[in-house]
Amino acid sequence: MVAEAQRSKLPWPRTRRARRALTGYFFISPFILGFFLFFVGPALVAAWLTMFDWNMIRPPFFIGLGNFKKMFADDLFYQSLKVTAYFSLVSVPVGLVLSFFLALLMNFKTRSIAVFRTIYYLPSIVPAVANAVLWSFVLNTEFGLLNALLDSIGLPKIAWLQEPEWAMPAIILMSLWALGATMVIYLAGLQGIPRSLYEAAEIDGAGRWASLINVTIPLMSPVIFFNLIIGIIGSFQIFTAGFLITGGGPQHATLFYVLYIYRNGLQYFDMGYASLLAWVLFFLIFALTLLVFKYVGRYVYYEDVGS
Amino acid sequence: MNQQLSRRRFLHFSGAALGTAALAACQPAAPAATGEMSEAQPAAERVQIEFLGMPGSPDLIPEEQELFHDENPNIEWVLVQQAQGTSRLEQLMALVVAGTPPDTSRVESDVYRTFAHLGLLLPITSYIEADPEFSAEDYWIQPQEDDRQVYQGESYGIGSCWVAPHFYYNVSLFEELGVEPPSNDPEEAWGWDDFLAIATDLTVDVNGNHPGDSEFDANNMERWGVNWPTWWIPLHAAVQSNGSDWIDAESEKIVLDSPEAMQALQNIADLRIAHGVMPRTEALEALGMGGTQLLETKKVALQVDGSWALSWNWEIEGGIGTAVLPKMTRPGTDMQAHLVTVVKDAENPDEAWELIRFLSSPWYQERYCRSGLWLPSQNALMTEESIADWCVAPEHPPGYELIVTEYAPNYGHYLTMPVGYVKAAETALNPVFSQIFNGEARAEDVLPAAVAEANQIMETEQARPTS
Repeated sequence: MVAEAQRSKLPWPRTRRARRALTGYFFISPFILGFFLFFVGPALVAAWLTMFDWNMIRPPFFIGLGNFKKMFADDLFYQSLKVTAYFSLVSVPVGLVLSFFLALLMNFKTRSIAVFRTIYYLPSIVPAVANAVLWSFVLNTEFGLLNALLDSIGLPKIAWLQEPEWAMPAIILMSLWALGATMVIYLAGLQGIPRSLYEAAEIDGAGRWASLINVTIPLMSPVIFFNLIIGIIGSFQIFTAGFLITGGGPQHATLFYVLYIYRNGLQYFDMGYASLLAWVLFFLIFALTLLVFKYVGRYVYYEDVGS
Repeated sequence: MNQQLSRRRFLHFSGAALGTAALAACQPAAPAATGEMSEAQPAAERVQIEFLGMPGSPDLIPEEQELFHDENPNIEWVLVQQAQGTSRLEQLMALVVAGTPPDTSRVESDVYRTFAHLGLLLPITSYIEADPEFSAEDYWIQPQEDDRQVYQGESYGIGSCWVAPHFYYNVSLFEELGVEPPSNDPEEAWGWDDFLAIATDLTVDVNGNHPGDSEFDANNMERWGVNWPTWWIPLHAAVQSNGSDWIDAESEKIVLDSPEAMQALQNIADLRIAHGVMPRTEALEALGMGGTQLLETKKVALQVDGSWALSWNWEIEGGIGTAVLPKMTRPGTDMQAHLVTVVKDAENPDEAWELIRFLSSPWYQERYCRSGLWLPSQNALMTEESIADWCVAPEHPPGYELIVTEYAPNYGHYLTMPVGYVKAAETALNPVFSQIFNGEARAEDVLPAAVAEANQIMETEQARPTS
């Protein structure tokens, strides 16, 4: 009875465990609040809007499955999916391989390696808009650096951003310029591989190539897998290049999916349809991520669990 | 004094501080001081009117606000600052969705009818009719003003000014070459064939060859004869000069599939593709190389650009000259400009109208006509006396008054953009323009289907529920 009376005098919450939990919640509350206010809330509203025609000026007008019917009959919906898939299918694997190769180079212990690492990392911290402007100069048909190079070896000029067949390769090329961020993640992974494994491989007679295949790549597979997932998600959300450099053209050749969502929402005042497209993108990325986990995840080597 | 702060008290204090900060953040921002009048008058007696998308120059705005406040001591004109990284349209829609629309806003001509249709804008016909100046028959340049203002019998905004594309050239280049420059007089407009011959003569590669010469090297150009940008304002001017329309004013349908319109667009495409007298204009624009740079570096002899460009072109080295565009069958150009509007849910529509009225006054318009940015939309600024006052050097080259008084009002045509036009253009028209200007297809092969699709899109957009 005495202990109970004493406990009742303690401030709420009365147990040490509950107080610790409360403190913890307090400190994570900025994220939790932001998550609910700026992600879950708008996402739920967007889900509700998929059944409405909403021009943002008058109240939403219920149209049932109208937006779904429109989507299945919308050529540009398929075109934007195709364009985004093309970008993803090329830029993600090429980016993964190139950044891995760069990381291997940057992992050599040579003089001035820190300078090279900085140089290769720098493009990834250039703001996306500045990057877009810079590349529109490089890719310029009349005075661009790339065409000057082609001209110097006797090749004809290419209208990189004006011809539909060249616009996407140009944007993929541009996206590869910012490999630095992925490279740094690889580099951190490479530096975590114990030296002793390479020494053991060397004793077993393994050369550089065999060490790469049998030591480096298996031990780096969680990092490669991580970059693959992040790369896929990022590639499906590409927007800036299509918005700023090509405006989705020429002939819808760079009409990325998110750009099409933006246009429907803020240029055509069709926020209900834009919400549906946004949810479709969410499920698409979610499904792709699950597929990658299921079919690629099995090849990932986790040292501590031994599989 | 050395007492330790308990965790409980720390949390209380933190919570209180956060709560206070949140309340402070939710409080509406204090209006910006706008000169002496705002200090002299108690805020409670004044009505605040917000304006989004100020059309004029930031340097001139304080003086404009001061005069407005002198004339309307009961109204405070507050500028809504443009949010960084956001377009004006995005900002306007965000404010509307948030339930805090500005009272008045600049609206571009491509979405004006769409906004009126969707019910965003307040009809102001009754205000115009009740205004002795604005309702006067000869106040505006007509019929263009009615063409842009009136949607289904109602006015929802007033155009700030007019702008029209025409030729610019570097005077010193024409003097060096000994070539007679084109005229500002529409009666003396070059015919298309004459223009092509002169443009060919003005086009030269680094070895001095012209298009048609066997040694001509289009990849190493010294100078192009002309740059005719391939976006809708210069293209509309071309369509007009071939006696056709972009959109039929009566039916509000796109009519770019008429033989004349298709021929006009193909003529522009052929400047580069068939005649080699024009660069890839979009490539130059992407480089940030606008008409001014092309003229100043003498990379282009004749540049088609909007009249607004005079406000900076007049300073180029070598001196700027202007001229009317060549005629395919008749002189023609585009007349366009944004409108100033009252938002339907404005709390104080009468005061909002006073601001719109002020922004449509001759005093206000004349300031920007003088700088070369605008062409007038009011006849008061078209009189001989007024022209002699504002249409002067150094901003205006000799003879520019003919562009103002003869070319634009008599041969300029307003491009009405119906409800759903933006979607129709982006979805159906722009892709075929790209094909035409890339030389992948001829206008007559691709435009009819694209026009049909664009009209269908507009029809669908117009059928969407509005209430």
